[in-house]
Amino acid sequence: MATAMPETATKELNQQIGLATDGSQFLTFQLGDELYGVDILRVQELKGYTTVTKIPNTPSYIKGVMNLRGTIVPIVELRTTFGMATIDYTILSVIVVVVVRDRIMGLVVDSVSDVLNISQEDIQAPPEFGTKVDVSFLNGIAKCGDKLVALLNIDRLLSENEMQKVMTVTA
Amino acid sequence: MSNDFAQFQETFFEEAGDHLAVVEEGLLALEQHPEDLDLLNKIFRSAHSIKGTSGMFGFNAVAQFTHKMETLLDLLRNGQKVVTPHIADLLLKSTDCLKLLIDAAKTGSAVDDKTVHRLTSELAAASDTKVKAEAKVEKENRSSSSTALASTATFLIAWTPPEWLFQRGLDPLQIFKELADLGTVSQVTVDTTKLPELAAMDPEKCYLSWTMKFETAKDRQVVDAVFEFVREDSVLSITEEVKGKELGVRGEERPSPLTPDGLEGEPKPLGEILVETGVVSRETLDHALAQQKRVGEILIEQHAVTPQQIEQALQKQKQQGSTAQSKKSETTSIRVDTDKIDKLINLVGELVITQSMLSELGVRFEMSQMPVLLERMAQLEHNTREIQERVMGIRMLPIGTAFSRFPRLVRDLSAKAGKKIQLVLSGEETELDKTVIESIGDPLTHLVRNSADHGLEAPEERLDNNKPELGTIRLNAFHAGGSICVTVEDDGRGLDRDKILAKAIKQGLVSEHEKLSDDQIWPLIFKPGFSTAEKVTDVSGRGVGMDVVKRNIEGLGGAITIKTALGKGTIFTLKLPLTLAIIEGMTVRVGKETYIVPLLSILESIQPKAGAMKTVVGRGELIDVRNTYLPMMRLYDVFSLQPEFTDPAKAILLILETEGEQVAVMVDEILGQQQVVIKSMEQNFRKVDGIAGATILGDGTVGFILDVRGLIEMSRRIVPVAA
Repeated sequence: MATAMPETATKELNQQIGLATDGSQFLTFQLGDELYGVDILRVQELKGYTTVTKIPNTPSYIKGVMNLRGTIVPIVELRTTFGMATIDYTILSVIVVVVVRDRIMGLVVDSVSDVLNISQEDIQAPPEFGTKVDVSFLNGIAKCGDKLVALLNIDRLLSENEMQKVMTVTA
Repeated sequence: MSNDFAQFQETFFEEAGDHLAVVEEGLLALEQHPEDLDLLNKIFRSAHSIKGTSGMFGFNAVAQFTHKMETLLDLLRNGQKVVTPHIADLLLKSTDCLKLLIDAAKTGSAVDDKTVHRLTSELAAASDTKVKAEAKVEKENRSSSSTALASTATFLIAWTPPEWLFQRGLDPLQIFKELADLGTVSQVTVDTTKLPELAAMDPEKCYLSWTMKFETAKDRQVVDAVFEFVREDSVLSITEEVKGKELGVRGEERPSPLTPDGLEGEPKPLGEILVETGVVSRETLDHALAQQKRVGEILIEQHAVTPQQIEQALQKQKQQGSTAQSKKSETTSIRVDTDKIDKLINLVGELVITQSMLSELGVRFEMSQMPVLLERMAQLEHNTREIQERVMGIRMLPIGTAFSRFPRLVRDLSAKAGKKIQLVLSGEETELDKTVIESIGDPLTHLVRNSADHGLEAPEERLDNNKPELGTIRLNAFHAGGSICVTVEDDGRGLDRDKILAKAIKQGLVSEHEKLSDDQIWPLIFKPGFSTAEKVTDVSGRGVGMDVVKRNIEGLGGAITIKTALGKGTIFTLKLPLTLAIIEGMTVRVGKETYIVPLLSILESIQPKAGAMKTVVGRGELIDVRNTYLPMMRLYDVFSLQPEFTDPAKAILLILETEGEQVAVMVDEILGQQQVVIKSMEQNFRKVDGIAGATILGDGTVGFILDVRGLIEMSRRIVPVAA
């Protein structure tokens, strides 16, 4: 049945049922007016914002650590990382728990939006300027309907080296 | 498939380890009670199990060796042989060797074939029933006292030197002289058939060849070494003649270290041979070796590679090494008493019942049932606590497992030092966390070695001092409060106050005019490089070790203390935490933050008087604690926090001690004391300076455990930066 269908029709159908054939799924979230996305396979869970314990002598974008069912998980504030103004946390504030090289980390975001299927052909290389983000943290930008999603490279964003680099600069 | 097999192998190694322990323990007991048949049977059974299973897994070297041991054990068991000290010693040595073989099978590393062969032949000799037992013993004693082959061997040597021999300034006569030094040369014949007519003869060429009979007590290697310089292009055959039978024939090629019946070990390094043959002295060799460079350095000098390339290659090498190592220590397992598991299952059953009672109560709850609810909550709490304790208990092992290596150690030490030593163990059933047990093995060994080597006097000296000739080393373990105490006690000469003080002054650790109390003097022996031993033995006395002992114990969160009386003896007491996963801590508050200070490092907490604080160079702050000035550290400074108090007179000072250093740490308030479970920060983040780990506090938030050592270092760093 499916083989008899023209290729474009299959793709359309797949998109309708939320299945990306040549792309992948991204969890999107809001930071200010901008929409960001991370590969959903990297997301372990979502958690409402809870109190975190500040770690002494660490850069400000590391909010602290939280207790995730007995595991100590560092929390990174994405707004501070990207140099945006901080806001008070609301009921919508969410910690996106991601896995970066076998380490569990939490990202504080304003709110989570959706899970989107984005096919490879809709992803463009990151622009040289135009967003508030250091583009080296981006894998690319994707057009999804009328929305523009900046796809984050969390390995780069949260890799130990990057963190340490920032830390030595700030220290 | 191969994975499954590996799993079984793991079991085999574990079991073999247990069996080996039984064999060793049994042999030690057998030395005391040579007639005990039950013991012999036990040893035999364990050895037999090792043989059987190792054969099954294809570790033939292990199986063959165990078979030899088993043969001897069987003879002992049947009464065809009696247990003599020599046989017991031989069996113990064989057990060590077996241990090595099993380790080798585990890691795939090489074994010292020489020892294996020697022991195999000794075992075979000891199992020989034809000779009368008494004569046998004597002969074996002789053979074990000299490590080389005891009887003289006769070699048939046929040597055709290369033609260029004289051109290189070598003289065959020299070789014969050297042989003559090593043994007796007889029946020398020279073969002149190759000699040409005088007219055609080149005087610089060697046309001769020799055959001879050579009798020597030396090793075959030594004989080989004589020909080392002329070996190239020579036709050389050295044949050993034993009981008219040839054991090994060898021509030009180097011996294979694995020849099944050859009595050879691996070829010796060139330097060793040069020293043995007297070509160079030991000093010259050491000097030459010291000048040797590493391959990398040479390559860099020749501009063949860049230092960076070498660096990378070394890095790679290191990585490979470390992965290999990590692979080795991959799986660890623990054996748990079935009793413990059964109790745990019962407790879980109780927990389920309590939980269902509670949920039933919750479905139709009325205020009148409040007392019932409270009662069941209490029940739940009771259940949870008990389960926690029992689960912790699974990791607990009796300390006897750490003690078990000492009877053997003391036996060997007493033989080596020529002292009579008895070891008394007590409190072996005291339970400790597995990790702690594994980590105290080495420090304890060091202390016991020290006691045997330095603590106890020589027998004559003991008799002179009206002490029994037999020295005693006592190992004891017992519970004391929330920790475990392990004591190592000897009735030897004790620590000499004056000697230690003199040495400390010489090393500049204390000044000459300082008045020190005994308790201040004893810890000096834990300083690196400190040893008052007049002579260094291979057992101890190099001053390396006591500092390591102290560091290891403190690394476990424990402490070590010394009690000693001159001429009476010394007691080392190790105080260890029950487990590494939980520590007793004091919760303190600075501003809004809560921190936990390990209770072990807190000496006291004080609220200083106004004016007790002094500054040095305007920066370093000191606090007067009963006329001793201690450096003071404001925790809010170190951690950049907003404190409630900045005036020490209003705040609380904790006097902390680590590694003999004291420091006063200023906090806002002490909240209380509690047990905390240590959680790793490195697992998901990284090490944070001044913080040893994290824990979950009662309200579910994360609290940090302070690292006292780290704090002291941090405060030192901050001062120069700020100044």
